[in-house]
Amino acid sequence: MTSQHLSDEAVAAFADGVLSGLARDRATRHVSACAECRAAVRVQREAVFALRAATAPQAPAALFDRLRALPLTTPLPTLPTAIAADGSTMLATFAPAAALVPDTQLRSPRMRPYMTTAAVVTLAGVLAAGSVARQQAAPENGIGRTAHTAQHVPTPDSGVAPGFGFAR
Amino acid sequence: MTAAETPVWVPPTWDEVVREHADRVYRLAFRLSGNRADAEDLTQETFVRVFRSLAQYSPGTFEGWLHRITTNLFLDMVRRRQRIRFDALPEDADDRLAGTGPGPEQTYHEMHLDPEIEAALDALPPDFRVAVVLCDLEQLSYEEIAATLNIKVGTVRSRIHRGRVMLREALAHRAPGIRPVEPGTVSLARQAQ
Repeated sequence: MTSQHLSDEAVAAFADGVLSGLARDRATRHVSACAECRAAVRVQREAVFALRAATAPQAPAALFDRLRALPLTTPLPTLPTAIAADGSTMLATFAPAAALVPDTQLRSPRMRPYMTTAAVVTLAGVLAAGSVARQQAAPENGIGRTAHTAQHVPTPDSGVAPGFGFAR
Repeated sequence: MTAAETPVWVPPTWDEVVREHADRVYRLAFRLSGNRADAEDLTQETFVRVFRSLAQYSPGTFEGWLHRITTNLFLDMVRRRQRIRFDALPEDADDRLAGTGPGPEQTYHEMHLDPEIEAALDALPPDFRVAVVLCDLEQLSYEEIAATLNIKVGTVRSRIHRGRVMLREALAHRAPGIRPVEPGTVSLARQAQ
């Protein structure tokens, strides 16, 4: 026996072949001389082998369909607030709902949403003064594509129409 | 609005997100929970979280992010159930075994891919099970697991070690099914690396 027994942690790491350098050399020497630690390493590897021999389950098709439909059924709980370049605070929709509609509706590359930093953060309302002009920008960017997302984004009481981070 | 001239990152469509990651998330959820109904619930809840927080997503960490959400949802579920069981509410456990979806034509095998392995995994304390599943089935590194669970690498290693020992004991009767490992040859092979 060349050294004291391997710790549990070292046994796992040695079995996984992730020890390196001196630690690995020492463990290798010890394991070759110590039946007990050799057995411990073997137990680790056998457990891994048994686990990996089990088949990998696949997601059922119905689950796929439900997941695809999530944008239509999941309300977005918050309207993130962002700081504009001019320092004004604004309510912004990051609008994953708008951008991530099911693929079938986005066949043509032209119709595919491209999201840029500016487009992603579309103004929903302007809370601070000095940014009034932006109010006109939002609805332009929000044309169309709002049928199923509009319901999730409450219109601010100010009457400013919610915009959707969406550009075509 | 001065649309950015420099497109930073084109987010995937939701369809792409689902296509690319659903199987992986479901597989992890199934292996953690050990049954189809819980796996479906966990997968769906994971994707709901993903959908809701895509705004905070930064490219490059998607898999890690998914692992973290799924794993933590599973641990939450386990803790909730432990509380419920402790309060001795009736229906729960049997209800979930009955499951929500599988039709009559679904064989036992599709639902429980390897009953013995599943049972052995199921018998592990959840913290150990998570470590073993992430390491041996999802093949994450110790460091990735530590980051996913927010624990130390040493803790990861000892949970993996202990979990595997318990698994091997639970599968002891299957000894012929487990490939015998010639200690000498394997450690020589490792040395050669």
